[in-house]
Amino acid sequence: MAIRMKGLLAAAILLAGTGIAPAQEELVVSIWGGNWRDGAQEAIATEFTKRTGVEVKFVTGGTMDRLTKAKLSAGAPQADVTLTTSHVAYLYSASDLFEKLDVSKIPNLKEAYPIALRSPYAIGLYSYVYAPAYRTDLMPDDFKITSWKDLWGDQVKDKLGLPDFDPSHIIIAAAKLSGADAKDWKKGIPLLEKLKPNIKALYQSDATSQELMKTGETPVQVLLSINAYHQMSQGIPIKLVIPEEGGVVGIDAVGISAGTKMADAAYQFVNTALDPKVQEKLCELYKCSPMNAKAHVSDEMAKLPGIFTSDEQLEKQILVDDETRAKLLPEWKSWFTENMTR
Amino acid sequence: MNDRRIWWFFIVPCMLVALAVVMSLAAVFQYSFREFIPGSLDTGGFTLENFYNIGRPLYFLVILDTLLISLLTAIFCLLLSYPVAYALVRTEAEWLRALLVILSITPLFTGEIVRTYAWMLVLGSDGFVNSILMALGIVSAPVQFMYTKFGVIVALVHFSMPVMIILLATAISHVNRDYEKAAANLGAAPLVVFWRVTVPLTMPGIVASTVVIFAWTMSAFATPQLIGGGKVLMISNLVYLQGLSSFNFPVAAVLSAVAFIAAVGSLALVQPFVTRLERRVAQQ
Repeated sequence: MAIRMKGLLAAAILLAGTGIAPAQEELVVSIWGGNWRDGAQEAIATEFTKRTGVEVKFVTGGTMDRLTKAKLSAGAPQADVTLTTSHVAYLYSASDLFEKLDVSKIPNLKEAYPIALRSPYAIGLYSYVYAPAYRTDLMPDDFKITSWKDLWGDQVKDKLGLPDFDPSHIIIAAAKLSGADAKDWKKGIPLLEKLKPNIKALYQSDATSQELMKTGETPVQVLLSINAYHQMSQGIPIKLVIPEEGGVVGIDAVGISAGTKMADAAYQFVNTALDPKVQEKLCELYKCSPMNAKAHVSDEMAKLPGIFTSDEQLEKQILVDDETRAKLLPEWKSWFTENMTR
Repeated sequence: MNDRRIWWFFIVPCMLVALAVVMSLAAVFQYSFREFIPGSLDTGGFTLENFYNIGRPLYFLVILDTLLISLLTAIFCLLLSYPVAYALVRTEAEWLRALLVILSITPLFTGEIVRTYAWMLVLGSDGFVNSILMALGIVSAPVQFMYTKFGVIVALVHFSMPVMIILLATAISHVNRDYEKAAANLGAAPLVVFWRVTVPLTMPGIVASTVVIFAWTMSAFATPQLIGGGKVLMISNLVYLQGLSSFNFPVAAVLSAVAFIAAVGSLALVQPFVTRLERRVAQQ
């Protein structure tokens, strides 16, 4: 008996050490780290747990790292719900990693703007923009941005930071300035090549973007509006500008993993995330635009650049459909890496 | 336990590890013969096109840059590490030896990311070096160290030095000091003894450690990623960009194969030379 008890004890210790739980009693949500996870915890997970009694466990990582992990664990998903960008959500669904959604289980979707339904597999939760931003204390007093083309100006020489994990924003902006759109992006190549002297560094993540802005290494950036407001809240003097051509709109979407054993809870999580009050809280935290039309946005927040409270406002921005963006992104990245990094 | 059983006790785990490594490499390399499908995580049928891509200017230049950065890192690492390793082995002052061990070896116990971030603080526009240069009036505007090959090499040299010091200290400690004493007794000046006796006797260690650092630097990722800021790319960064950002696993697999062959090939090429040197030193 003593030997058997020791064996059981050893097995329990080993099990605890490897982190293998005997049964799943929580909803696992895949999301980015830092303020993304904190915001989702405070706004969505807390309300979800209050309503269902099910705890939420967040697993964090970069957009592409999480997609790779999801692909590797296809069939036995490590997360039940995934929050990602809407064009990457297209890649999840194209690889059968997301379950086809039964919208009757998401009643709050009826109150959402039409663009919230990204596909039969993913639902947009909030929108934001990638737009030019600069450090007001590090740029000359007469420096201002009204158009994307101001990024090509002499005052920006060797000062610009761009994302290298997704160069689509500057490519789409260059195409637009050249009288084309995302599908005819090659018309913007001559303009893009003229931007090279102004590029100082390329950032690989939100964290690197924030570091480059904070240290002033790249006082001008094509920046995610949510990150801009996050850094402004930390006292960094940043001005975010929506150019006259519009900002490049991004939508973060949610999908339910194919093969999840927590489907009911996952649907409730998605429905909770679309609840007007939850959306208000989430967008107050992130400084983003809600997808639920009934979510109230304060007057103060509605005035901020990149916050949209109607379809009309969104239509004035640069919107690219998820499939086009997902399919062109590898080509854009290859071209950008080959021609703009050296 | 008899000899045969002891043999199997060690050989079986080695074989299992080797098998796991070979299978992992095979799993990666099979992607290099697969067709890339944009907008999909899956790959298509058999193709050799990915290998033709290596001839494209960017890939070719990144491979050349990787070889150049690895070579310069290994050379500067050797030049800076040899005096430290020599002092570490030859000093008779215990406190100095302890100090050298602490200064040279302890960085091994901090991660690559931590050390690279430290260099970002040192090399940045308002970092330590630029602050000093500007305070002394040597420069009027910050010198660009970040996002340059120079900055990447400086950080890689610092990252690799502890390993180089350990390897060189081992080689220097194996030198029979009677040879140096004999040369000195015959009238050779200390510098001549060092240059004509000590250095040749440690040459196998010098070559082996230089090759190890060269091969190890070939796979550097975090340092060129953070210090290079996307403007200095090495093969690992390109593998990441192609594989995990664009999901072009086939091209990423080809690049991985090139990096693997270059690293293993450089070790294999130098090995006969090191063996010959070791034999020559043993005969002296």
